[in-house]
Amino acid sequence: MKNKFIKSYLIITATIVAVIFSIQGFCKEPKAVIGSTISDFGLKNVDGNIISLSDYKNAKGFIVVFTCNHCPFAKLYSKRLIDLNNKYSVLNVPLIAINSMDSLAYEDESFNKMKLKAKTDSFNFPYLHDDFQNVGKTFAAGHTPMAYIIWNENNQWIVKYKGSIDDNGENPEKATSFIGNAVDELLQNKSVSNPVTESFGCKIFYRK
Amino acid sequence: MTKKILFVSLLLGSIMCKAQYNNLWIPDTLAGTNFNLNLVDTFAQLRPGNQTITAGVNNKFWGPTLFFNQGDTVHMNVHSFLNDSTTIHWHGMHLPAVMDGGPHQVIPPGTIWQPYWKVTNNAATYWYHPHLHNMTMEHLTKGLGGFIIVRDPIEAALTLPRTYGVDDFPIVLTSRGYNVTNQFTITNNINISEYGDYMLTNGTPNAQVSLPNQYVRLRILNAEIERGYNLGFSDNRTFYVITNDGGLLNAPVAVTRVKLMVGERIEILVNLGTNNVGDTLNLKAFNAGLAFGFPGAEPQQSGLNGSLLNNHDFTVLHINVAAATANPVTTMPATLANNIYWTAANATVNRTITVTPGSGVGLAEFAFDNAAFALNTINKTVNINTIEKWTIVNSNIFSHAFHIHDVQFKIVARNGNASAVGDYESGWKDDVYLPKGESVSFVTKFEDYSDSIHPFMYHCHFSNHEDGGMMGQFVVTGNTTGINEQQTKHKDFSLYPNPANNKLFIAFDDPTMQVYYIKIINASGRTIFMLPRPQLQNGIEISNLSAGIYFLQLTDEKTKMTVTKTFIKE
Repeated sequence: MKNKFIKSYLIITATIVAVIFSIQGFCKEPKAVIGSTISDFGLKNVDGNIISLSDYKNAKGFIVVFTCNHCPFAKLYSKRLIDLNNKYSVLNVPLIAINSMDSLAYEDESFNKMKLKAKTDSFNFPYLHDDFQNVGKTFAAGHTPMAYIIWNENNQWIVKYKGSIDDNGENPEKATSFIGNAVDELLQNKSVSNPVTESFGCKIFYRK
Repeated sequence: MTKKILFVSLLLGSIMCKAQYNNLWIPDTLAGTNFNLNLVDTFAQLRPGNQTITAGVNNKFWGPTLFFNQGDTVHMNVHSFLNDSTTIHWHGMHLPAVMDGGPHQVIPPGTIWQPYWKVTNNAATYWYHPHLHNMTMEHLTKGLGGFIIVRDPIEAALTLPRTYGVDDFPIVLTSRGYNVTNQFTITNNINISEYGDYMLTNGTPNAQVSLPNQYVRLRILNAEIERGYNLGFSDNRTFYVITNDGGLLNAPVAVTRVKLMVGERIEILVNLGTNNVGDTLNLKAFNAGLAFGFPGAEPQQSGLNGSLLNNHDFTVLHINVAAATANPVTTMPATLANNIYWTAANATVNRTITVTPGSGVGLAEFAFDNAAFALNTINKTVNINTIEKWTIVNSNIFSHAFHIHDVQFKIVARNGNASAVGDYESGWKDDVYLPKGESVSFVTKFEDYSDSIHPFMYHCHFSNHEDGGMMGQFVVTGNTTGINEQQTKHKDFSLYPNPANNKLFIAFDDPTMQVYYIKIINASGRTIFMLPRPQLQNGIEISNLSAGIYFLQLTDEKTKMTVTKTFIKE
């Protein structure tokens, strides 16, 4: 049982706080809402090389997937990520996977175990270690798996989609591919008809 | 004619829709004296479409049932693979506070926690569940938890159904709300209702079970966030309550309805011997029309405090009567136990705890005695071996479920009136319904375990209330060190061999030194082992550690001083 009066008061307070924080947020750095800009970043790939968006000279856009080693729900998606990269990298929309989990708190997310996972699952795309969690914070990635599509507009990377990869983790044959549909629309110079879906899976905890 | 066909097909359709039951999940069992519990992130297919993110013990939403024999010392290996810290509390167990799994025994990600204790509880149904302050509601919602079934000689001598999954069934009642992507809506978010919209019985939506037509035992646990259940059968038949939370009643108590509040367990006997094979009946919650204050009696179906199940009668388990087993139990014992209870006259200390409003911030709607839970505040100090009478006064706006750790108690009065205590709640209890505008008095004895550092909890078992601070802490003192001893210099020890490979041993300068706690921490500061009062004669098993430098933090039982030593694992 919850007290309604207390709640109304709290909602008002929370709204004020949220407004203050969002104003502060705007002043500090833009979060990855649809239409916002993502700055280039450099992160270490499992092969030891530093990968940046600018390395891909012909990229029209990227499928950026926040994933991790241990999360059972994220694990369901390895083959689908490989298929997406096969299909869209030749159309100049490559996929990059980023692990922003707190590898200090969680040993299974260590760089060594990332290397092992990329090898075991035969990843055909970069699997980047966001060691200081800065890229995850920039995207405001909340869970693994969580996917974004960023698109080149006037030499800037604009967020066009955020959310789930599709709508059925365990049964890919029953799933609607939100990512596939969105990239197809962007490749046809259309706007994304379903730009935001809910993402869920394992929570990414950010160190302060 | 067309209309008739349409009507008949609609009718058939609706019958078929109603018949969409899923077979009740019967949790796996673990028995013996060593129990491996792996806490994991996982998911479950609970609705058509996408899977629901859950957590579980040994890979399942609602984990294995643990069988303990009274008198055994049980060793738990709790290994958390979650990416969030949590705790595991052994609800109803009488054990040392440092083994209890309350909010202080935080298990970080990747850590192994190894509590152990001698089982002294009576045969009954207990359970284990997370208890991390501010996170209990979220972790419980995700499905972390399981049953504990204790066996003892008194219960074993009775002719009672006790073949697990055949004539003796664990039934855990919960409900959940879902969002459009099939994810649980109940989190520690004040803007979302704490009541679920759909039943999950043993983690199974729309559960059905086949029960043999003979006496069947159901061990029912209310593991809800907040909802109470007014249980009964669809044909209003009489059934018999044979246990309360902490043991057998002296005799079966015949009822047609029984209220089961959050955290409470009852074992019931139901006679299906009068049924025919193929009969069906439902175990139901008769929650319609209950007075405001009963959790789940609120009228609203959505929004704040809303739920599709509120103020409704609804099925919690569909029962199909099947053929009897080879050696069916066809009678019920007239008497069960000869419990000798403490009375109010035995109590030498009387305490009153009053339900008061909380601060109103976040989930803090209620508190005890105007003090919100604080991790570093001990609210009560109890002398060991004291019999105490506690009266919980609730003149507040809503009902609660009062639970106390460490002990089983005897309810001696409701509203000061001994005769107002129901026969169905006349046994050993650790959790009690505290209706709005009423008081409950119970008597208990604080035996065996004292610890001046680690407290036990008492709290409302509605986990949103508990997370909101409706919880207090007590320490049991006595039979422990005095202040002078605490001021003595700590005793030294050394680790050998160092470097070590498989086993690490500790050599104490003073061989009488006792260890209160050991933590092993790796070079990155990650806790690998949490070992309360470890048994060190065989060394500490470290063969699974990867090579590197580790820190061993040892806390002395007497002085409670902690010293850290380094060792190398080869």
